[in-house]
Amino acid sequence: MSLARRRFFLTSVALCGLAVLWGVMIAFQWAGKLGTITLAPWVALLGFDLGVVGGFVGAGSMVGLWLVTADLQGTALDNVQIAVRVGSMVALGVGAGFAGRLLRESERSQRSVAMLQTALIDSTLDGICLTDEHGEILISNRPLRRLSAELGMPQSGSVPERLLAIADRLAEPERYRSRMQELATTTGEATLDEFELVGSGRVFRGYTTPVRDPNGGLAGRVWTLREVTADRELDRMRDAFVATVSHELRTPLTSISGFLEMMHDEEEGLGESGRRYLDVIRRSTQRLHLLVEDLLLIAQIEAKRVELQLEPLDISELAERSVESIRPTADEKGVAISVVAEHAPAVRADRARISQVLDNLVSNAVKFTDGGGEVRVQIDAEDGELRIVVADTGIGIPEEEQGQVFSRFFRASTATQQAIPGTGLGLAISRALVEQHGGRIAVSSRVGEGTRVTVALPTTP
Amino acid sequence: MPCVLVAEPDADVRQLLELTIRRLGYEVATGESSEVDAVLLEPACAAGQSVVRRFGDNGPPVVCFSIYPREEGLAPPASVAYLLKPSSPVAIAEALRDAFGVQPAI
Repeated sequence: MSLARRRFFLTSVALCGLAVLWGVMIAFQWAGKLGTITLAPWVALLGFDLGVVGGFVGAGSMVGLWLVTADLQGTALDNVQIAVRVGSMVALGVGAGFAGRLLRESERSQRSVAMLQTALIDSTLDGICLTDEHGEILISNRPLRRLSAELGMPQSGSVPERLLAIADRLAEPERYRSRMQELATTTGEATLDEFELVGSGRVFRGYTTPVRDPNGGLAGRVWTLREVTADRELDRMRDAFVATVSHELRTPLTSISGFLEMMHDEEEGLGESGRRYLDVIRRSTQRLHLLVEDLLLIAQIEAKRVELQLEPLDISELAERSVESIRPTADEKGVAISVVAEHAPAVRADRARISQVLDNLVSNAVKFTDGGGEVRVQIDAEDGELRIVVADTGIGIPEEEQGQVFSRFFRASTATQQAIPGTGLGLAISRALVEQHGGRIAVSSRVGEGTRVTVALPTTP
Repeated sequence: MPCVLVAEPDADVRQLLELTIRRLGYEVATGESSEVDAVLLEPACAAGQSVVRRFGDNGPPVVCFSIYPREEGLAPPASVAYLLKPSSPVAIAEALRDAFGVQPAI
């Protein structure tokens, strides 16, 4: 019940009480607002025969009283007294009735708001709870209670305590414990990593975000918990499918490329067109081979099975090599290509893997740039990092797609519309390799103007 | 003439391997009676595994030619070379020559 309504209700009750003593109160409802009129015999004390007093109702509460008086002729005092008593009883009854109705309405609306809230937070599959600044639960939903029971969490204590209590039932309990402790002391945004329940293989993902008071202080936290076992299973199936395909393609690829090699000696016997067809088959086989190798490499990188052979490297020399290997293609297309290296510091990196990244970036730049365009590879040092920028004046990547270019199999619409061949694996592999070196890779682009890929690698201290 | 036993499930690939072996001037082992100087096998198939079991640890040198990378741990202990398909016939020939170099023909 709102404060105004409560005040009004109390005023009504008080007026009912007054009515018992002093007169007849008639409660009325007008335009949805409760008011009272009281026949007030005490006005006789003021020299009037009859008075009517009533309340002004504004904004849901009594804001004033009004009084109307009249002189009546020849009314016996006894009759008035009887009328007063009967009227008092009636008024009390009516007042109590209204008061009760008011109370019931208020309870009903309170209940329906609470039901709505509960229905809302119970309707999601995620477990949700709100805690105060000490981590004590203020509100929780049904999925949270179910999930925490399934995880074997204690039913009391603060949320960090409850979470910590299940550490031993999870895969990698130490990592989980240190994460939880980190969470107990931080006030910032934090995602809980996924954690796996030992034995069942069920995987859960937790997320927590602080709730701030108006001054920016920590008022509490919202916690969500979701089971992601099915998502993980789908990921696993997709990876297994990709791996199977990449392995099974190797058998037919072996006979195609093997017999192509065998044909080398017999090529002389073929006509000119026969030799041309054979070249096409060779090129396509080579592309298929590269695709299979890329698929394998990305699977190995994601399974963290690629080991880097770190050695001091001169990146500008590697960049020169990549550029020289692509130069015939660039010349054929009429794309100018150059390397600018200034004070490039030495880095410790894997020669083959960094070369692969450079090859990917440089060949992409040439591939997506039309004749008359330009590709520039720039190497310099900035903020203790080695920076490699591969910039082209090519077709570009739409802004809304730039966030996805490092995802597996993603191809920009500008590339697919022009049927430029590719697998959508080059940048995914490049990012994985750069990150494995402790570096970063970023892309910026404008459609029709060109693309800039920047790689930053930590330099040797 | 050195004799190489081939265990490969795919008929086309097997044909390619046999051709490669003959071009090198080696013989292709046929049946269980042949004297075997080296084995060229796909470890990820039943035939490959049964050859590995048949020779045990003291058999002829093994050259693996597989659809799975070496890290999968399929290579038998007697392997002297591991090639990932689709390695070229040239690479297979080199691996076989090396195999004979590692352990002379019995």
